[in-house]
Amino acid sequence: MEKRGFEFSFGWLFAIIVGAFILFLAIYGVTRILDTGRDVESAKTGKEIGILLNPLETSFETAESVLLTMPVETRIYNRCEEEGFFGRQVIKISQKSFNKWKETDIDIGFKNKYIFSDGFEEGKNFFIFSKPFEFPFKVTDLVYLTSIKKEYCFADASDEVKEELEELKQGNLLVENCTEKSINICFETSGRECDVIVNENLKSVKKNASIVYYETDALMYAAIFSDKGNYECQISRLMKRTDELLNLYDEKNSILSGRACSSNVDLISFKSIINDIQNSEQLVGATAELNELEIQNDRADCKLW
Amino acid sequence: MKIQQMAFMLIAVTLFFVLVGMFFIMILFSNVKKSASLLEEQNALLLVTKLANSPEFSCQNVFGGPKINCIDSDKVMALKSNINKYSGFWGVSGIEIRKVYPEGSRIECTSENYPECDEIKLISGKGTGIGNFVASCRKENINNLVQDKCELAKIIVYYEVKK
Repeated sequence: MEKRGFEFSFGWLFAIIVGAFILFLAIYGVTRILDTGRDVESAKTGKEIGILLNPLETSFETAESVLLTMPVETRIYNRCEEEGFFGRQVIKISQKSFNKWKETDIDIGFKNKYIFSDGFEEGKNFFIFSKPFEFPFKVTDLVYLTSIKKEYCFADASDEVKEELEELKQGNLLVENCTEKSINICFETSGRECDVIVNENLKSVKKNASIVYYETDALMYAAIFSDKGNYECQISRLMKRTDELLNLYDEKNSILSGRACSSNVDLISFKSIINDIQNSEQLVGATAELNELEIQNDRADCKLW
Repeated sequence: MKIQQMAFMLIAVTLFFVLVGMFFIMILFSNVKKSASLLEEQNALLLVTKLANSPEFSCQNVFGGPKINCIDSDKVMALKSNINKYSGFWGVSGIEIRKVYPEGSRIECTSENYPECDEIKLISGKGTGIGNFVASCRKENINNLVQDKCELAKIIVYYEVKK
């Protein structure tokens, strides 16, 4: 009887190996293109967020809030770098695809932005609000980023803080009717369970067993919404910018002196205090000098700011 | 002979797919450049409307209370001499402030001729410019009397178009 089997010739073997190789190359290429596309999209979104922060530059002592909506579930990573004249605010975006977080290595940096948040904020909708930081002149606008999923309860805050938050109309900052899932911000250590404790006398904020210090309300919010690492790094960046602004005011003072319009504001001693500030605890020590500088500027014939 | 034909065929198919892939990559990257230019444009557009209110430029309370879209030109001249530290700070390729009214003869401001000049070039402008009208104010000593002097000016922010 004749046996008829499948003949596995060299031709077939060659075709299968080369075909598999071509298929592998094609799949690898497509994956790489998709990864690049995702990196590009992440970089684009990061840059867009930074650009959207431009209109939050306020003119007066007011806070402004905007809603940021992303097309898919997104994680906005917040990193602060201290190097250079002004340091750098870094944003990294990670988006959910097929129920998995796709990480990218693309960092988008901004030298003129100061974002306060936890290590990352997650969600589809985010609230961004900004408030000017004055020390004693305007240094910049601080930006607070929170996910809409996180609710903050300011039920026992001072009337001033409550009034400001009510004017802000930001849905996740509650001054009454707090829910169980709210993050409790306690201004007085009253019987209730506290996630964050603000001590207005010591000007300190206790969060996750670590304490940071603040000067002005703008930094109080910053301490509430961000983690310690981010907060301390941003303080260092803010002091760098204050120092550079002091240089500008010093030079402006020289220009004005030439027009017989001197200001007699003692910038040099304040500059040495600023240069000595290494962490938020040392901020509180500058309060007296800060007030003195403000008085000197208010009394001057030609104000510097 | 058959193997030779198959090898040629496979090389042709591979080359075809490589070319198609390269074509798609080219389209993808041309879109990236377009997006980058668009983002630069958006950044410049939004920045120019708010730059006058940033602390390095703004009048703050110097000229009789807080003012919006007001540039303290004395402070900007101080900024001009420190501008090397601000490299990449605003993420644009150029920033200029040009006096619009009273009209001048476009003399560039230096520490020697200030304030008898019309243009402060902070970062020499390259690329496309977007402008916004602002008040440019300074203190002036007229007959031993210090007065506020404000002029109409235009702040121009430049961004580079990626080609």
